[in-house]
Amino acid sequence: MFYSLYAIVILISVYTVRHYLFTLNRLFGFQRHPYIDIDTAVWPPVTVLVAAHNEEKVVAHILAALMCVNYPEDKMLVVPVNDRSTDRTREIIDRFCEAHPGRIHPFHRIGGKGGKAAALKDAMEMVETEVILIFDADYIPGSGLIKQLVAPFFDPEVGGVMGRVVPLNVGTNLLTRLLDLERSGGYQVDQQARMNLRLVPQHGGTVAGVRLSALREIGGWNDNSLTEDTDLTYRLLLAGWKTVYQNRSECYEEVPETWQVRIKQIMRWAKGHNQVLAAYGLELLFGKHRATRRERIDGFWLLGVYAMAPLTLIAWLLALGLFYEGVAPLQGVIALLAFTAYAATGNFAAFFEIAAAARLDYTRQRICLLPFLMLGFVVSVFSVSRACVSQLMAPITGAKFHWDKTERFRTAP
Amino acid sequence: MNPVLATVLLIFLAGVLFTLPLLPALMELRLKRDAQPLNVIQQHGGEIRHFSYGFRTYIADLLEQLRECVASGTTAHGIMPDGGQYLLLGRADDTRLVSNGAKTATCQSVVAAGMDVVLPDGITFAKEIYAAGKFTGGEKSVFRAILGEKDIHLGRASKVIRWAHAVGAFRAERDCDLYGRISSDREIQLESGCAFQRLNAPRIVLGRSDAEETNIGAETAPTSLPSGRRLVDEDLQILAGEIVSANIVTRGRLYIGAGARLLGSVKSHEHMALEAGVYVEGSLISASTMHIGPDCCITGPVIAEHGIVIDTGTCCGSVRAPTTVSAPTIEIADGVTVFGTIWARTEGQVVPQG
Repeated sequence: MFYSLYAIVILISVYTVRHYLFTLNRLFGFQRHPYIDIDTAVWPPVTVLVAAHNEEKVVAHILAALMCVNYPEDKMLVVPVNDRSTDRTREIIDRFCEAHPGRIHPFHRIGGKGGKAAALKDAMEMVETEVILIFDADYIPGSGLIKQLVAPFFDPEVGGVMGRVVPLNVGTNLLTRLLDLERSGGYQVDQQARMNLRLVPQHGGTVAGVRLSALREIGGWNDNSLTEDTDLTYRLLLAGWKTVYQNRSECYEEVPETWQVRIKQIMRWAKGHNQVLAAYGLELLFGKHRATRRERIDGFWLLGVYAMAPLTLIAWLLALGLFYEGVAPLQGVIALLAFTAYAATGNFAAFFEIAAAARLDYTRQRICLLPFLMLGFVVSVFSVSRACVSQLMAPITGAKFHWDKTERFRTAP
Repeated sequence: MNPVLATVLLIFLAGVLFTLPLLPALMELRLKRDAQPLNVIQQHGGEIRHFSYGFRTYIADLLEQLRECVASGTTAHGIMPDGGQYLLLGRADDTRLVSNGAKTATCQSVVAAGMDVVLPDGITFAKEIYAAGKFTGGEKSVFRAILGEKDIHLGRASKVIRWAHAVGAFRAERDCDLYGRISSDREIQLESGCAFQRLNAPRIVLGRSDAEETNIGAETAPTSLPSGRRLVDEDLQILAGEIVSANIVTRGRLYIGAGARLLGSVKSHEHMALEAGVYVEGSLISASTMHIGPDCCITGPVIAEHGIVIDTGTCCGSVRAPTTVSAPTIEIADGVTVFGTIWARTEGQVVPQG
């Protein structure tokens, strides 16, 4: 018990140090934005895939926004991937097609396997361009975003691109405000630091792009993955393609407004992430492939981040057990656990990363909400742990692959 | 003390101590002082002419009065709605008014000239200038910003602090410092010793004015984005005169010999060097520094994460296929032509040939 506790605390401490390094790099280090200044070029043809499954509340907004972007009209094709929708999504998409002839080619999917990756996989028959951009239907791109996301593909080493996600419905309630803080820490600090340090910026599957030849080389979308974005990041990495993060390519999204939806979302992320850890973790560390040494190490730590939630809970239980067993002195290790636990777990950024992000974003008052993040932390630790346990039990319980769509809260137009 | 009261007091005090640190959070949650989404959508999308368009709107109400000044050959001044002063010049010889006849002076007004204008030397313009005709600045002058409806010509050792936009051609004589955004709808020409940050025009000529005639590839056709790539884990040398048809990524240094032709994009993780007369049909990307030798021709974007040096006679982009050259520091020799954008995040410099 004693040694197990120490082992977990050491693991958690490594994550804490990693996150402190990221924060310091973001505040004081050299910032890499190599492609953001490409504002004049012969822009390549691009296909914009909009993943939509029962998105009547939001799909009109993204299609309207895409029709206004600053990109040569004759070089951009929007493909709404209407995945078995049973609401008005199809009708709304078709209305946009009529209003913008030649600029939108819908892909209406009426059957097949569930999940975003499966829908994207089927939609690839519509794609002929080397550059593909992907958006979820609740996103609202600004006018310059398409060029910014396409620009990195002038680099022949870039296989994937990821932009910054910014919540739009921030002021709705405590949860949306906490998610706004988490997102800012996760993108403004964590992702950009990984970009700066040439580690492994993560493809998010939305506000993102992928090179068609790279995607074909790695075998296309993996429709068995719950997080096709993480899966894509690692397969690209193993094949020697870079995923780059563009912090200044921001796009609004809608974050969950109820804890129930949030818990479902984070549980899906945790399961998908763990799937990727199981599939590629060892190969990444020890396999013969094109990733650099620092990418191998950081990539592995990134994959392990959701596994830290159950480990944190186990550590607390071990500490409690040892305390009642009378094993002493434990104060040091418990103090270390208490100090580091919040810096290691989950999908969300560590508190000091969020504080640094607030400073970098020139926001002021919202940082006052930082103490409430403890609530988000507790919910995430238990939800992620639950997801991990159910995943481990799946072979016994016979639970099947199931993809939960995130509910939307916007009012339909 | 009554034990019950003591317990209640203890619980109350503990509650206060627990709640006190949360007060700012509770207040923010209640008052929503900072609950708007981050203002991140740049509708101008990084448009280099954004400020000049804004200034044109700002002075739109003065243009009718400016035309009257030109028609009557008079000068007018007044106060803008935001409280700033303006000076409208209706006659070419009224330019002495901006300096009140002094040799070194600061003009605190927005200046609008309704005709071709030649300004005296050594004046500092603390506000924007609008020129309906050809604009010629004096030597060693300092301009906050200039919008020229025709050509803009800056005298030797002048400075632009924020931006300048010429609908016609923009030309800066030797040793000018051009901070911020410089754009032209026709051509930018900078002489030796000029420093710059961000330039955009259909054609940018650095140094010698006959540079356009010495460059190759001015009519190079637009390229499409090539697919796939050849990955090399160490230093790579492409021999002189070699023709390579592939995208190339090298994790070491890359050396491209004289006269080589690369049909595809090229990336190096370390220093990249191109000898004379190299032709690249694609982009050049270096995660470190880059040296482009003389008389090279690059059709796609040229990006280095630390610095670029470009030798004389080189041409980037073409009239039909404009491109971007970008790095924190850029050093360009006399006689280089770029079609599109040059963006030096820290500083760019035009250096004499040799």
